Amino acid sequence: MFSAVYIESEVRDHPRACAILERYRDLPHIECERFGQIFNRKAQNFRMQKQYPALILARKHGRKVLSAPAGYGFEAEQSHYFSHMLNCIYDCRYCFLQGMYRSAHCVLFVNFEDFADAIRQSIVANGGGSPPPDGLLVEEVTHAGAGRQVFYSGYDCDSLALEPVSKFAEFFVPFFAKHPQATLELRTKSTQISGLLQMAPAPNCIVAMSFTTEACAKQWERDVPSIKKRLKALTRLQQAGWPVAIRFEPLLPEADQKAYASLFELVFSRLDADRLHSTSTGLFRMPADYFRNTLKLYPDEPLFARETRTENGVVSLEQPDREAWLAELEQMLFRHIDPANYYRCAN
Amino acid sequence: MNGEVNLVVAHSLEAKALIEGFDLGEVEPRGEFRCYENKQCITLVISGMGVRNAANAVGWLQERQSPGFRAWLNLGIAGHPSAALGQGLLINRIEHRRSGECFWPPIPNLGLPGCGLVTVDEPETTYEQDAAFDMEAAGFFAAAAGLTATDLVCVFKIVADNRENPVNEVNLERVPELFLQQESAIRKLVDHLRGRSAAFADWYGMPAEFESLLRGYRFSATRKAALAQYCRRFRALGRQDRLRELARVRFRDAASLMTAMRLELARANESGETSRREAQ
Repeated sequence: MFSAVYIESEVRDHPRACAILERYRDLPHIECERFGQIFNRKAQNFRMQKQYPALILARKHGRKVLSAPAGYGFEAEQSHYFSHMLNCIYDCRYCFLQGMYRSAHCVLFVNFEDFADAIRQSIVANGGGSPPPDGLLVEEVTHAGAGRQVFYSGYDCDSLALEPVSKFAEFFVPFFAKHPQATLELRTKSTQISGLLQMAPAPNCIVAMSFTTEACAKQWERDVPSIKKRLKALTRLQQAGWPVAIRFEPLLPEADQKAYASLFELVFSRLDADRLHSTSTGLFRMPADYFRNTLKLYPDEPLFARETRTENGVVSLEQPDREAWLAELEQMLFRHIDPANYYRCAN
Repeated sequence: MNGEVNLVVAHSLEAKALIEGFDLGEVEPRGEFRCYENKQCITLVISGMGVRNAANAVGWLQERQSPGFRAWLNLGIAGHPSAALGQGLLINRIEHRRSGECFWPPIPNLGLPGCGLVTVDEPETTYEQDAAFDMEAAGFFAAAAGLTATDLVCVFKIVADNRENPVNEVNLERVPELFLQQESAIRKLVDHLRGRSAAFADWYGMPAEFESLLRGYRFSATRKAALAQYCRRFRALGRQDRLRELARVRFRDAASLMTAMRLELARANESGETSRREAQ
């Protein structure tokens, strides 16, 4: 999967880094002072690097919890995101990460404890209070309604794709289980769920799986588990009692309504729609500067050669009947789910 | 695979095995640097020793070549505290001792042993750092990475001296033999880089119509950039035939041509929509 491991000198002896280095003992280990020396340098080609990505182990400095963009995610009093990783091991052509970063290497910040501290402070600062006293059930606190905050972990990476290496969920799910006044969304396309299945389900930790149509997945998602495999993983999680959610993103006009109808049929024939945490859709969109960078990387990609429109600094595909198309799609969706548990992702 | 690779070596003894192995012929007339090439788009330049010479040779070679997507490979002998003589090392970090600058060459998955390297101004005799030592790589890398993507620039060194066989005892006549021992690793690396440069040419090369249209009309810098983008969109959408047809038509001026291209691309988008709707 990786061609080499770069390690910041200051995390060389971190237990999490040591375990990962041991796992990748056959790869070159290259020490650096700061991850930005490799990750942020100029004249790199993201597209070429996707063919031989390296793993960079680093320490996250500065702000670790950030406000989620407006319109991102489901309704909550406070939305935040935190990124224990930068970049993704998958290669989805529509992904904004390829326009955001200069490098396709994956940065893994190993100081999870510092992220946990920052999340704890954010919960307290936003009225979430202290963890519940022993003996009080998580659900009782969750539904008490005080200071509900959502933390998204899959904004700059896939939350679970590197789980066997990072043990991210293994660390953060128990952490959030102790902080039921907050919610964690693990956004993923991965089937790396064995760690989760070994834990007791946490009612405030949602596994949100992204799907596009079969044709779109084949054309634009490389190295990603098939829809059937993803669905199987999600079904197992739901059966085990985990809250699961569906993210139909990005919606691409490439696929006709029949393709979406088939996808919805497939998804909701496997999952218990009544027990879903939420379902959302989001059109293909990308910040204009990221789109420009992506277009430079993939000038031969038909997806980016189409007519586009830019509104408020965001590029989307030109589609004259977009609203009607989306409304029709939502009507198809509402045959399977309760509209009250649905939202459109705006960002 | 028809990608292009430029090889940079410091010394004619380092070049010898490469000239024979890749069947390179000397480029005449001789310029500032001795240069060799073959029909498989491999070019070799002998830079002379030192950081400045290496950088100058890169610049010189680039100037005499037509624009294109070329990979660059610095090959040469190096010292190392403990590695065996003749050991080949794919360099993954270059530190320029004088300036303190660091460079990070890419690491292809070729199974070649990797190593950090320090570029020094004088031959290293103490071998204090656990790294290879040379006198050119930092200059080479800085210059080559300024011309192309760093993913197309590699450094491969062959150990010619170590603590037990110090640099002042190196028998230079043995250098071609050391290169011969590493022939398969060098070929692997050259082939890999050729593949990369071919991929770049495939991804980023312009359709032929772009040049012919540029010659046929007067374009402002902005319109030239737009023309490049339109030509690429035609190709990405699989409409090269239509681009060819447009290139044969004589328009009044560049603006009229661009309007026609824009309309054609919009039509391509609409017909794509229509065909998708019809498929339903």
